[in-house]
Order: sequence, then C-alpha cells, then structure tokens
Amino acid sequence: MKISIIIIMLSLVVTLSACNQTDVVGNASITSFKDIINAMQDKVTQDEMYGGWALTSPGGKERFIWSKDYSVSAPHDVMLEFDAKPFIDAGLDVNRLPAGMLIGDKIMVGTSLGNEKINYTGEATPVSSYEKIVKLKRDHIKYHADLDHFGVDLGDGNMFEWAKNMSTNDKDIVFALNPQMFIDAGADPAKVEGWAFAKVKVMDAGGKPIEVDKLLKPFNLK
Amino acid sequence: MNKEILQITGMTCAACAARIEKVVGKLDGVSNVSVNLATEKAAVSYDPQVTKLSQIKQSIEKIGYKALDAEKKGAVDEDKLRKEKEIRTLWTKFIVSAVFCVPLLYFAMGSMIWWLRFPIPAFLQPMQFPLNYALLQIFLTLPIVIAGYRFYTVGFKAILQRSPNMDSLIAMGTTAAILYSLYSVYQILIGNFGAVEGLYFETAGVIITLILLGKSLEAVSKGKTSEAIKKLMGLAPKTAIVLRNGEETEIPIDEVEIGDEILVKPGEKIPVDGVVSEGHTSIDESMLTGESMPIDKKAGDKIYAASINKNGMIRFKATKVGGDTALAQIIKLVEDAQSSKAPIAQMADIVSGYFVPIVFCIAAIGFLGWLISGESLMFSLTIFISVLVIACPCALGLATPTAIMVGTGKGAEYGILIKGGEALESSHKINTIVFDKTGTITEGKPAVTDIVTAGGLQRNKLLQLAASAEKGSEHPLGEAIIKDAEKENIELLKVERFEAIPGHGIEVIIEGANILLGNKKLMGERGISLSEIKAKSDRLAEEGKTPMYIAVDNQIAGIIAVADVMKDSSAKAIKKLQSMGIEVAMITGDNRKTAEAIARQVGIDRVLAEVLPQDKANEVKKLQAEGKKVAMVGDGINDAPALAQADIGIAIGSGTDVAMESADIVLMKSDLLDVPTAIQLSKSTIKNIKQNLFWAFGYNVVGIPIAVGVLHLFGGPLLNPIFAAAAMSLSSVSVLTNALRLKRFKPYK
Repeated sequence: MKISIIIIMLSLVVTLSACNQTDVVGNASITSFKDIINAMQDKVTQDEMYGGWALTSPGGKERFIWSKDYSVSAPHDVMLEFDAKPFIDAGLDVNRLPAGMLIGDKIMVGTSLGNEKINYTGEATPVSSYEKIVKLKRDHIKYHADLDHFGVDLGDGNMFEWAKNMSTNDKDIVFALNPQMFIDAGADPAKVEGWAFAKVKVMDAGGKPIEVDKLLKPFNLK
Repeated sequence: MNKEILQITGMTCAACAARIEKVVGKLDGVSNVSVNLATEKAAVSYDPQVTKLSQIKQSIEKIGYKALDAEKKGAVDEDKLRKEKEIRTLWTKFIVSAVFCVPLLYFAMGSMIWWLRFPIPAFLQPMQFPLNYALLQIFLTLPIVIAGYRFYTVGFKAILQRSPNMDSLIAMGTTAAILYSLYSVYQILIGNFGAVEGLYFETAGVIITLILLGKSLEAVSKGKTSEAIKKLMGLAPKTAIVLRNGEETEIPIDEVEIGDEILVKPGEKIPVDGVVSEGHTSIDESMLTGESMPIDKKAGDKIYAASINKNGMIRFKATKVGGDTALAQIIKLVEDAQSSKAPIAQMADIVSGYFVPIVFCIAAIGFLGWLISGESLMFSLTIFISVLVIACPCALGLATPTAIMVGTGKGAEYGILIKGGEALESSHKINTIVFDKTGTITEGKPAVTDIVTAGGLQRNKLLQLAASAEKGSEHPLGEAIIKDAEKENIELLKVERFEAIPGHGIEVIIEGANILLGNKKLMGERGISLSEIKAKSDRLAEEGKTPMYIAVDNQIAGIIAVADVMKDSSAKAIKKLQSMGIEVAMITGDNRKTAEAIARQVGIDRVLAEVLPQDKANEVKKLQAEGKKVAMVGDGINDAPALAQADIGIAIGSGTDVAMESADIVLMKSDLLDVPTAIQLSKSTIKNIKQNLFWAFGYNVVGIPIAVGVLHLFGGPLLNPIFAAAAMSLSSVSVLTNALRLKRFKPYK
C-alpha cells in the first residue's frame, strides 16, 4: 500500500508540474479565440497606437485591444475601447470619470499585464499574442460556465468574452462592463443605448456564486 | 457426529454469515452450522464418515472467507494476535485514507462552501483549471481506494457469486461515484468544463474513509465484547514447577502431565487442577467462582488451575491438565455460549439474508424512478449511491451476537455461566422457580442449631460430653456436634467404653459416667423421662430440626438439635425473586412438616414435599402444564432430570463436570442471589438486544426512504451520500456501544 501511495503522489507532482498540458481551459480558449479571429479577419488589425492588436466589433464602435509586448508604454495591455456618446446621452458626466478613461470621444477600460518584453518565435500574430497572455498571465483568462464563454479579465469587473463554440452560441463575442463607475459618474445604465443592462451570474474571488450588474454588448458572428 | 469450531476471517456483515451457513449447510454430512458474526466463529456439526473438515474449510474459502481451526493449541494467542493485527491494519488504513480524504474534502467542498472562504490555489480553481482540479481529486482518491480495496475485492466477488453483502453495497456505491466522476473528467477533457461540477470523487473517498473508521471502531468494540473470555484465558499461568526425581523443574504448562507432583509457592497461581498432597494454605478461587473469600485447603482437597495460592507452600498431584481443567471447561462453555444464537437472532438473520438484494433493488428503482421523472442523471445517481451506502446490514448482524457476548461474558465475570443464547433468552421469560432444598436452599451439611440443657448441666459440659461421645463417629449428625465443639474450642474427653446402638444412637462411658446419646426411641427404651424438656423438644421438631437426646446416668441432661442450615443468601434471594413477580416453590424428599418449616424460614409458600428424586421432573412437568415457564435450581447431580425438564435448569455447583453438563446456567459461587442476578442479566441482555434491533431496523427503515428521496418528494432535503456513509458507520458503532453498556451490569448483593 505504501509503495502504491508513493507512486501516486509522485505522479501527482509530475502531472501538476506540467500544468500547461493540463490547462484545458487555457488551451481551449486559444483554439476558440483563433476561431473568432478567423471569423473576423477583416476586423482584426494591428493597433499602432498601443502596440498591439485590435478586434473591432461588427458595429464598428467597440474594440478589444491586446498588447503584443508589455514593455511598450501604453495605458493598458488589454483593454476595451467604445463610444462615449451613448453613456453621455444616458447622463454620464465625463468629468467624473477617472482620469485617462476618456480619450477623445472614446472611453477606455483595461489593465496592465506587466512590463516585460515579449519575444516570439517568428512573427507575432493576433493569436500568438493571445497565447502569450494565456501562458504568461493565465489568471486573466476566465471561463464563464453559464454562457460557455472564455474571457479576458480587464480588471474592475470588465471583460471581453467570446464563445467557446460559435456554432452553438448566439453571443459569439461580448463586451462586458462593470456599470458602477458609470453610475458613479451620473449615468443611468438602463438608458445606455446599444448596451444591455443585466444581471450576470459570476463567482467572486472566494468562489462564491453571485449575481452582478453588467452592461453587455453581445454580437452574433454567424 | 463431530462438532468443530472454526475461526472465520473476512466476514463483514450478517449477509456473509448467512452465506457461509447456506453453503456449508448444503454439504453432505453437515447436520448443523451456526456462524456468529460477532465472535467470527462457525460451529459445524458433521458426520466425519461423509464429509471431512478440510472439505468444509474449502467450501468456506471458495466463497471468499478464510477458515482456521479455532481450538488448536495456541489458538487463543494466535487469535488474539490476529485480532490485534486486524485492528492495527484497519486503523492504518483509516489513517491513510483520512490523510488523503481531508484535503480531498477541502478541495472538493471548499469551493462549494464559499461562505467559509477556503483558499484554493489559482491553478486548482475548478472553473479555471478544471482538469487540474479533477486530477488532484483522482490522485487524492486513489490512495483511499487502495486503503479500502477489500471492499471491492470482497464486494464484487460476492456480487458475482450472487450473494451480495455490505461490501457489495459500498463497492457499488463508490464505484458508481468514481465511474461517474471519471466520465466527468472525460467531459472536461473534451471541453465540457461545466462537467467539473459532476465530480464525485470526494463522495467515494469520504464514504470509504468513514466506513474504515466505522470498521476500526467496530473491531475495537468487538474486542471489548469478548474481554470476559480474554480475562479468563489470561488467568492460566504459563509455567509450572514440577518435582521430578526430587528436583524442582520449571516447565511450560503444556508439558505438565497427569500425576505430576507440582510445587506452588505463596502468591503463585495453581497451574493445573489437582489434589493437595502436602501442605496447608488458603486459596483464592474468586476468578473461577466469583467468591471473594479465600478457601482453606489441606491434603486431600481439590484445587483448580488459575486460582491463587495465598499463604502456604503446597504440593499437589495434577489430576486434570490442558483442556480438561475446570478453567478450560469454563472457557469452552463461555465460548460455546457466545458462539450460539438466541432464537431472537433468527429473525435478524432471515432479514439480513434478503436485505442486501432488496437494497440493490430499491437503489435501482430509486435511480430509474427519479431519472424517468425528469431529474438529472447526477441527481438520480446521488439517490442510487445514497441508498446503497446508507443501508446497513452489519448493524442488523451485530445487534444480537454482541449483546449475547457481553451478557454471557458479564455473567462469567460474576461466576454465572450461561450455556448459550437460547438459555439467556429463555431466562427472562421465567415466571416460576423451583428450588431443590438440600444443598440449594440449605448448606446440605447438618449443623448444631440449638442446645437445650436439663437437670442443671452446663451448656458447654453437655456439648463436651456429646462431642466426646461422638468422637470418631462417621455419622453426619455426630460430625455436626464435633464440629460445633471444635468451633467453641471445647476439649474432648477420653471415652472409656463405646457401644453403637444401630438405629437408636450410642452408649459410652466418660469419666465414669454412663452417657446415652440418641433419639427419642432410645430414651424411651431405657425408661428415661423426657417430661422436663418435652415442650422444647416438640418445638424443635416442628422447626424441622433433629433433636438428639443426651442422658447422663439415666437422667435426661439435655437436647442437641441438629439441622441442615439455610444458606445466608437464601431468604434474601427468594424475597428478591418474589419481588420480581416470580413464583417460588421448593421441592424436597423430606416430610411435609420439615419441608414446610424450612420453607417458612425462607419465605416460600409453595412446597412440593416427599418427592422422590425420580419424580422431581414430573413435578416440574406439572407446573409447565399449568402454563408456567419453569426454572429448576438444583445441585446438578441428583436433580439432573428435573434440570433437564425445566425450561431453564440452574445448577448450583463449583464448576463440576456434571453440573456443567446438566444445566443451562451454572452458578459457580453456589450463592442463591445469583439466581435473580442471572434472570436480571437475561432481562437486561434481551432488552439490550431489542434496543439494538430497534436501532438497526429503525435506522434502515428511516434511512433508506430518506436516501431514496422521499423527503425531497415533499419539498424536503436530499440526503448527501457523504452523510449517508457517516450515518451508516454510526449505526454499527451505536449498536456496539449499546451492547457494551451491558458491561455496566451489576449483580444483586
């Protein structure tokens, strides 16, 4: 019995030390992200301003931007950019937004992933830059079981999500915002045109299942 | 017919015992087989001409159990070591499984019990790293499964042999949980990450751990139930000092032979049974009889193995060795009793035989029922696992034998040897007790009760003359007078002439005086007037005493009355029995007048007098014909037919072979207070058995419907299989704990 248990424990150590292979969520998220990129080839561009890649929504008013090199100076390494107008129309006082959030007529939410230089074998591509996030900043990649979505955590409750399987999901990409900062700045989230104000089931940091308010903008790509 | 006791290993529940009984019972030549789950022993009666013991053992081993000779030399130690090893192994298995179960439960339940805020490392978060999470659970579950592998090897084998037992239920329940979890892992692998919620590894792990805990506690408790027999076994010394060729040689007890001269120093234990040949001492026989007062022993007196030589060095000749000693016989008697089954156990046995298959059916019906009603596979599977795991045939199987083991063991501790479960059970129904008079209610030895003087003679002088006259007499009445004089330190006088007058008495000359000592007839024939003492003489006769008249020089000098005296405890015991609502009768060959006088003294109303020994059984039969449950209390030799006829025969004795063979209960101390104690012990044991059966049945009757989802049907909660496993383990432990309460039983004082 003792030998069997020792063998099992050694196997556990070996297996868990090779976590990349067992990270099915991370690996599956790369595959599905690739599917999204392929489905939106014409909407994915290099973003020279922030030194990364940008995926523009079919409506053209929102963008998901992800960095290819975290050492390049930019406000965020992963971020959402969207029109400020619907929010202003809903009562948003842009002066009450945190500094740097409003750039021109756009609002930007996001987070830094670090400062390190990212090296690629070969040319950097939108997918390989995403793979770097999975490999290096895995805690920013989430799986949202209720919607069967993967997502990039942009901090402060903001997410960019996409369907694991586009063929079975009617919300292939979703821009998800925490409405609180807009509420604090005077906006009525229910009146933000083009965005759905809804309750969403998520797990809090302790694993507690909770319902939170979100401003959602989903797109069905197929 | 041969009767063999086999030690069986590998049994886990009543279904195992029933299976062995069924298989062995089918063998040609086997007339009776009784398997006791609590003692792990099988008593097999078989015809050696038709079948061999080896065939019986093979048949037992073929169905997955091990059969060992329980009565071979050294088996006691081997059995003890085997049981200790079993307890150690079970504890080790439990500890190993607990060590892995705690983190398993932590990771599995921690994420669910979010309000307790169990921190889980990011790389093990179920929703973000489901495969890591699942693999960790698999790795933590595997050692637990290895620790509990016996449930699977025995359980599935039993299913294949169409005789499912408790292990089968555990094996099926946990296997279902593990297989479903592995299916969920497969789902995770193919990208269905939500399947992480379908992991049931912790259910299997916790079930196995809790059952191992239950089994460990059960093994410890089982050991406690047989403590009485272990105590008896531990009484015998290991060596003896034998005198061979004039030299003292210490040899192992097994090498002592009948006829060996053995030396025992003060403070040492008597190694074997024998007869004192030299020396004088007092011996503590309390371990055999429960009697705390040491007994004086001199040359010619019998001594028994395991009793303690208190103060003198003695030599004795071995008369019984090995399995023939009184101690060995007592051990065998208690072991046989503990191996036997009470009639009340039969019901539990019958239920246990059908129990496991029925539970399988209920689990399957529950599973399909909920699935068809639209519940999820996971929900239905929970029902299936819960039903299998909560069902507890082991509690049913342990309910009766454990109580009987503790009850008979407790009896043995107080010198009450109960010869089987049936005797124990029948005793509590007794409503009439018939006591033999001589040697039972009375001491069985005449003693001087009254000394009446006449003609101005002093009391002590009268006793001195009478005792001197009877000196050398072998008549029991004469012996009583001499003993009384010795007790009072009266010096005996020299007898100048002695003449026995058959049927009348004796005539002697002491210090020149003519002394007549005898019955009334002798006095009458010699023309000695008794008028002076007539009234007293009549009173003594009425009291059932035998007056012996003494005349000095043809003048009446007094009466010495002799009678068989009551035992100290007789009246108290009878009063106690009457207070328990039991009718007490006395049976004797004495004339009615004497018998009634004795009966009055001890408070007995019903007297069966002038009954010849051969008619005693008929008197018992007559009482039984009146619809009474009769116990007969006698000395076990001349009362043997009546003891056999009675519903319960209680022998008063000091552990003699005859007493042990003839009665259902043997009172080693010859103390009548042990009769109400035996009946009360029987009542307590039966009450305990009923409580155990109530808990065992009640537990299953309540637990299984809850597990199958009856409460859920009415909006109540669903039973988690983990709680089912905990409850199942507790049921066996609670039954054993209840049986152990009997150890607190106290005898009447």
